Amino acid sequence: MQKVRKNDNAWQSGRAKNITFIVTKDCQLACKYCYLVGKNVKERMSWETAKAFIDYVLSHENEFREESVVWDFIGGEPFLEIELIDKICDYLKLRMFELNHHWFNSYRFSFSTNGINYHTPEVQNFIQKNREHLSIGITIDGTEKKHDLNRVWKQATPNANGITQPSERGSYKDVVKNIPLWLSQFPDAGTKVTISSADIPYITESVLHLYSLGIHQVNINVVFEDVWQEGDDKRFEEQLMQLADAIIDGGWYQDYACSFFSEHIGKPLDPELDNQNWCGAGRMLSVDAAGNLYPCTRFAQYSLRSKKALVIGNIHDGINQNLLRPFLTLDRTTQSPQKCLDCEVASGCAWCQGENYDAAQTNTIYERSTAICLMHKARVRANNYYWNKLYRKLELEGRREEYEANKRDVKPEIC
Amino acid sequence: MKEKVGQVTAEERSEIQQLFERRNGLNELAKILTPENDALYQKLVKDMGETGTKFQNWWDNMAKKYNWKSTPNGHWEINFETCEIFLSE
Amino acid sequence: MMQYLVILLDDTSVSYCHADNPYKERRLINLDDLRAGIRYAMTENLMIQFVYPDYALPKEYLDVIDTIDHHDIVPYPLKGDVVVIENGELRVENLADAVVVVRLKKAELFDSGEAIAATLPKVQRLNVVVTDLETFTDEDLKRYNTLLDQWAAVLNAEYLHGRTPQLNLLTDRMMLTKPNHCNAGVENITLAPDGRFYICPDFYYSQAEPVGDLQSGPAIPNQQLLRLDHTPLCRHCDAYHCRRCVWMNRQTTLEVNTPSHEQCIVAHTERNAARRLLESIRKEATFMPEVEIKEIDYLDPFDVRKEW
Repeated sequence: MQKVRKNDNAWQSGRAKNITFIVTKDCQLACKYCYLVGKNVKERMSWETAKAFIDYVLSHENEFREESVVWDFIGGEPFLEIELIDKICDYLKLRMFELNHHWFNSYRFSFSTNGINYHTPEVQNFIQKNREHLSIGITIDGTEKKHDLNRVWKQATPNANGITQPSERGSYKDVVKNIPLWLSQFPDAGTKVTISSADIPYITESVLHLYSLGIHQVNINVVFEDVWQEGDDKRFEEQLMQLADAIIDGGWYQDYACSFFSEHIGKPLDPELDNQNWCGAGRMLSVDAAGNLYPCTRFAQYSLRSKKALVIGNIHDGINQNLLRPFLTLDRTTQSPQKCLDCEVASGCAWCQGENYDAAQTNTIYERSTAICLMHKARVRANNYYWNKLYRKLELEGRREEYEANKRDVKPEIC
Repeated sequence: MKEKVGQVTAEERSEIQQLFERRNGLNELAKILTPENDALYQKLVKDMGETGTKFQNWWDNMAKKYNWKSTPNGHWEINFETCEIFLSE
Repeated sequence: MMQYLVILLDDTSVSYCHADNPYKERRLINLDDLRAGIRYAMTENLMIQFVYPDYALPKEYLDVIDTIDHHDIVPYPLKGDVVVIENGELRVENLADAVVVVRLKKAELFDSGEAIAATLPKVQRLNVVVTDLETFTDEDLKRYNTLLDQWAAVLNAEYLHGRTPQLNLLTDRMMLTKPNHCNAGVENITLAPDGRFYICPDFYYSQAEPVGDLQSGPAIPNQQLLRLDHTPLCRHCDAYHCRRCVWMNRQTTLEVNTPSHEQCIVAHTERNAARRLLESIRKEATFMPEVEIKEIDYLDPFDVRKEW
């Protein structure tokens, strides 16, 4: 009798160390909402830097005791550096095995890509080589109109500082052609959608469009930055209620999920029992082309608008553990203003430590940005509507128990 | 068609999950490791044999311990998240 | 609640804490700023601590200073309520009534074990400030522990004879039932010679951003992070004597509310030495019965943070 396993979607969630290679700060696109304000064509990681970093991490097994590891590759667009990535992954496999490192028993290679190069022989060969250890997410924002609103190609020539500039040419067609191949290789894969002010009117049609492409899991969130206009929360709530109607009336809820709707959000939080930090910064580790180490990619200079990069070490000297202490002791109540502690719908309201740092009035990670406050409250109202409507429908149809037993559980995603 | 036929403990689940991951890791390592790298190649071959045996032993031992239902054309699956064992045909 | 205003009278005012004063050129605080600072302290009910340079101030300054009740922090050999000795030479003759502050580096500290032991019976209070605390290693800690026990033996004998000299590193914890941190930016604030407010003198000496001026008063951004209730590590800690130095925190961890590993292990080594001293005194006499210092098996609260 043959024995196989069932695939596990949320691989080692919370038990894995996330280690990110910023292999390039270049990208074919210049998305208008991209938090990476300093993308450029110059900063590409060398093999020597990557190897030195790997040697440092694998030779300090005692400092990295997490059960599992996710080797994450980010850009810019990571697949622009597929040759380097292939070499890195081969070296990682060999060295983890050679050193009898505990991570050889539990690792993944993870990618967030714009999908443009997905079909190329180089990327496809890499996928074939590492098929059992891959997690690849392609970002597509929804309908062509919505996607092309923000996700545009960059101009051929960067500005005088070497920073890439957006063009008028959308990238939808270049991405969507690769979705069938991607889904054939990763049928459970989800896509990540980012919403800023101008995207609000397109939310419903975009999510339904992604479902129609065969993407079962749509992870969607509003940007943390302070970009919101007056009335956006009302428009957002209306869109989400339209989306709720469409998902429920269209029967999508049975096999498809949208992270906007979750039973876990919109409850008060206990200051002691629910005091954990949302963000994983500090428990993650990022390295850039210069060999500098960061608690998360969001603390590298190209991610920051108004603050200096927060470097916690480098590949030669290792990590300054004192600089990690604030990240590892940070909790929800210490960084939150009183209005968040008193909030009756606090659960599921996320934050990004990097954005908090960037937006803070002093150089601290302990000042929570609340730019998404009204948007979260709008989401909670629409979310309540969704579950009330869905459960009433299921009860009337006598199918609630069946649904509960088989539903896709969408938990708030921890960064 | 899939039918739940049993459940293992979290420790037992971790054991097979680790073996499963190791087996996959060894298989993908085998794609890039050539006999020219003699010492590492020998280590890999030995490990693949040992891991395969341990993997098979786990299923044999668990099937015996829990006496799971089986069918001639079926196979068992484990859900790593819930520790449930399913019979699939 | 703010209780103290520290006024640095000159750019070369003596440093009495962790940061060295890098300023070499004299620059007195503007006389009008000095008056305005005193007025501010009077309106806010703050006790003033004047910090002096090593030269005699002009008479008009002394006259203004004399208009308010205050404490003087001075460099040795000037006379004041607090006398600061630097460069490792411990000279305490005629200082029986003053609080003596000795600033030294780790290497000097390890060379000064005998001198400090000999000094303890001669002073009312000795504050030892190690200015390169962030360099402490495990090996240093062992040597430090031995020194603390050496000084504890002297203090033990003194206390059993009814004399109670204080050494900040040992006797403070022995007498505390709650935290007694520096509380810079919460209970005290500093007016510098440039007429602007700083969280403490060390922030001024290290050229940090000011937190207000005499026209508008102090306004510390994210002031809550200076408070004990906003320090995830320290609010659980019972090394009550620790300075919880927010300047050192910022230097070593980049956050004012997070201490370095070194600050924690040094403070806990002192705490544990205080515990042993307290036990030793209690073998012979009843002493501070309300104080309890528990036995613990860690030196850095960071290592046990998951147990909270």
